[in-house]
Amino acid sequence: MNKKIVSGLAIAAATTLALGVVASAPANAAAKKSVTLAFQGPLTGGDAQLGQDQIPGAIYAIALYNAKNPAVKVELIKADSQCDGTVAANIAPGVAANKAVIGVIGTSCSGEARNSFPAYRAAGLTMIAPSASAVSLTDPKAPDRGFPIFHRVVAHDGFQAPALARYAAKGVTAPKFYVIDDMTTYGGPLAKGALPQAKKLGTVVGTDSVAKGTADYTSVASKVKASGANVVIYGGYTTDAAKLFKALRDGGYTGILASGDGTNTSDFPGLAGKAAEGVRLTAADVPFDKILTPAQLAEFTKITGVKVPGLYSTTAFNATNIFLDCISQGKLTRSAIQLCVNSGSFKGVGGDVIKFNRYGDIIGGAPVGGYLVKNGVIVYDSVA
Amino acid sequence: MANLTRFNLRDKGAEVWAGWSRPVRTIFVVSFIVLMGLLPFAASWGPTSFLNTPITSFQNVLVYPVGMFILMALGLNIVVGKSGLLDLGYVAFFAIGAYTQGILSTLYGWNTWEIMPFGIAFAMVAGVILGLPALRLRGDYLAIITLGFGEIIRIVAINLSVTGGPNGIPGIPNPPSVFGIKFDLMHPEAFFWLVLAMILLVVWMVRRFTIRRPGRAWEAIRQDEDVAALMGVNTLVYKLWSFVIGAAVGGAAGVLYASKVAVISPDMFKFDVSILILACVVFGGIGNIWGVIMGAAILAYLPERIRFISEARQLVFGAVLILMMNLRPDGLLPRKKREKITEKRSI
Amino acid sequence: MWPLSFGGVATLHNTLHLNRSVDMNFSVITSQFWSLALQGLALGLIYALVSLGYTMVYGVLRLINFANSEVFMFGTFATLYIEVHFLGYDIGAPSLHGFKLVYTLAFALLASMLACAILAIIVELVAYRRLRARGANRLASLISAIGVSIFLLEGMRIITISRPMTTPRLLDKWSFGEFHGANFRIDTVMTIVAPIIIFVVLDQFVNRSRLGKSIRAVSMSEENSKLMGININRVITLTFCIGGLTTGAAAFLYTTVYENTIFNVGFNMGIAAFTAAVLGGIGNLRGAFYGGIALGMLEQFASAMLGSQWKAVTVFTVLVAVLLFKPNGLFGEAVQQTRT
Repeated sequence: MNKKIVSGLAIAAATTLALGVVASAPANAAAKKSVTLAFQGPLTGGDAQLGQDQIPGAIYAIALYNAKNPAVKVELIKADSQCDGTVAANIAPGVAANKAVIGVIGTSCSGEARNSFPAYRAAGLTMIAPSASAVSLTDPKAPDRGFPIFHRVVAHDGFQAPALARYAAKGVTAPKFYVIDDMTTYGGPLAKGALPQAKKLGTVVGTDSVAKGTADYTSVASKVKASGANVVIYGGYTTDAAKLFKALRDGGYTGILASGDGTNTSDFPGLAGKAAEGVRLTAADVPFDKILTPAQLAEFTKITGVKVPGLYSTTAFNATNIFLDCISQGKLTRSAIQLCVNSGSFKGVGGDVIKFNRYGDIIGGAPVGGYLVKNGVIVYDSVA
Repeated sequence: MANLTRFNLRDKGAEVWAGWSRPVRTIFVVSFIVLMGLLPFAASWGPTSFLNTPITSFQNVLVYPVGMFILMALGLNIVVGKSGLLDLGYVAFFAIGAYTQGILSTLYGWNTWEIMPFGIAFAMVAGVILGLPALRLRGDYLAIITLGFGEIIRIVAINLSVTGGPNGIPGIPNPPSVFGIKFDLMHPEAFFWLVLAMILLVVWMVRRFTIRRPGRAWEAIRQDEDVAALMGVNTLVYKLWSFVIGAAVGGAAGVLYASKVAVISPDMFKFDVSILILACVVFGGIGNIWGVIMGAAILAYLPERIRFISEARQLVFGAVLILMMNLRPDGLLPRKKREKITEKRSI
Repeated sequence: MWPLSFGGVATLHNTLHLNRSVDMNFSVITSQFWSLALQGLALGLIYALVSLGYTMVYGVLRLINFANSEVFMFGTFATLYIEVHFLGYDIGAPSLHGFKLVYTLAFALLASMLACAILAIIVELVAYRRLRARGANRLASLISAIGVSIFLLEGMRIITISRPMTTPRLLDKWSFGEFHGANFRIDTVMTIVAPIIIFVVLDQFVNRSRLGKSIRAVSMSEENSKLMGININRVITLTFCIGGLTTGAAAFLYTTVYENTIFNVGFNMGIAAFTAAVLGGIGNLRGAFYGGIALGMLEQFASAMLGSQWKAVTVFTVLVAVLLFKPNGLFGEAVQQTRT
């Protein structure tokens, strides 16, 4: 045979062998003395702050649990979805196929939750989400609902949206609302959900939809100014809220700016600069550092390296603890976890009782908090 | 380096093939197909388990991206490779197929087999709508228009409620079982066999076209369009044909994809996908079916297998495009000698 | 066998309604006219500056400079880098005044222009020069340029880990005053005055100076220019360089107005700038100017009338429509009906 072909094949064979040697890290036989939980959320990408704020809560919970030297230790793996449905659709089957994973702390974003359902549902993998708040995820009639594997420890936007409208208009005598959304699974329904309450409290003088990731908000700013609105409500995430609010202030808008939990991340004041001052935000969460004692907070910092816990650290902590609770009761398989989560009653870190209804929401709802940006820091104000 | 640019695997392969008799060829083809069919089990079988991909499951990877990319690259190859038309909006046809499956199955309850011809038909219609006006232009302008078309389709999908808006369409059913083979999330190998069957079908179809008049017409157009026109080849019709056939393949791939992932949304059909498929075609060898298959398989598989490439996947693809064009524009497996990309001296 | 329900056709008709009511709000034309026009002018002139990178290169090479969008992106990051890391102003820094403001901005502007010019020249060398020398066909050059564009885009994505970045507000955004709702802010005015100056200078350069004339000569006929002893390669490099300079200026203005950037900011800007180039007639400098303004205004009015979600579609539709029905653009030559 031709020398070239032989040498070519030899090179190919050698490369393949080399790859095999390099890559020989097969899924190690899981020590029966440990189980794994997966955290799925944005850890990189434009919305990374959301996931980065949450994961310390999970890490802290697991560290506390493992420190008690239990019979079965718990490990955490990270599945970075970049808050992107497409990425989620690709990594969810992989997480589901990983036999060691018995529960998913996630997902952070609503769009990626929907796209992960088919894989997790088929694999019987339970999800407890710290912040995916689109209403349709637990709506018995919605085609994209997460039943029976999806649960969340936050109030969904059916509660948050009217609370947002109320909190935004607090103290305004004749509110004229302008409602803007970012055309995502989260922002769209949040903004629309605020409309009925807004109409009750005042008048809605305009609405607009601007795609997430748009650079230029000047035309929106002119429209808002021309409409004479004095309360602007934005359904969307931090980066675009910052751009929008800056454009509004630069355009001469002097009224109230408000947004929901997608904007309530620690990088918002930095991104929005002066425009962030006085912005009203809601979130279905109570700040973690309000709940922990100073000693606990110090321990938190030591374990996670984070000085001030970000938003939804609390809910991530709660979500993780529900899994840990079931694991400590000896539930170590996916089906056992599913049963335990569906029917059990748990305690949140703030002392509240958490019990899930059939479709995944907390019975009795969860509180929605109002936050203000004061001097470049987001501070908790009151219940919205 | 010179050896690298001139080593022609394709010609070597052709020599070997020509040396075999009919029965040997048949046995080779059949055993090759059987081997491919066994691929889904390769990850769990000892000696080949190094193929296993971390994080994502190997069987799922075989369907998407490997299988799908091969299928789409074959489709794009017809447009770019055979006729020399640069289509930067190929993802539009993929999207049309996927949304057809999504809409018709969730609104009217049809199943995948019933929807497939419609998905293909709609993609072909889109190919005609785009092609008729656009193919009068050439080169760069065609590229930009197709890019624009791809983006328009995506943005329209975001804004209409029948396509589910930015949320897309959830709850798309899997295809119903055929001959007892179940197509669901627990059996990704069934999807792989389906994709494999499609790939074989497309390869067969393209070869039939290539050796007949359409193939010769495309070759003439690719070499020099004006001369072809002067020689009496109806360039517009043939260009349109290649465009439409390419669109059909893209649409079929879309229908399959939607029925596998069960949820589709507009951000799955961005411009990146068109570039990825183009990179597969360029890397493998523009115009050469086997080259394209090999190129697509490698480029789709490697980022899944080697994680650090995965982070930099698009970067690697960009580099691939630059390097291939500068060092080895013919790709891994260049086209036949007589079809080889002849280098024109420009002015 | 086939569950075709023709009643289904009727339901399809109902479901085709748009997600958000396209309220063709014509009242904006009167109520917000001046405001939209001013914004359209400012944004349009940024488009015009970037479009020069496409239109001039097309003039001499007859090829689309795909990577120009990434040159723009690079310019925005260069501006950010200069202001934040080199000069040391971080996000919360108070704005500057007087002489310090002027020379800081001028420095950032020049740095951005220089960085973009250098990158543009590199692009020419990597993507186009080798293939030209080899006489490779157009498809190869096109693909190579796309490869460079993707490489730069992804490289920046990895460097910035997809996070958007903000620039400090060095220029305090005070307003000169209003005119029927149009707010004459300092940065808006800057974004109008600076491009006009650049265009006037460039126009004079191309029409009067020797180098400029050589560019025009090569645009008209490469063959004849060679015969006249013009160094084609040098002219092409110069063209890329000029495109880079104007794109760099645009990047600086953009960053000053919007105060943020992200790795993929180039994509939409590139499409818009290319559309502007085509609208004005590709290869034509003045065409780029007017094309940019036209596109900018069109975008603002469409966005106000139809709702911001249709903004991107407007640009693409204009592009496709112009290429199909009036490929000459407003001032330009017939596109691509002639032989390669």
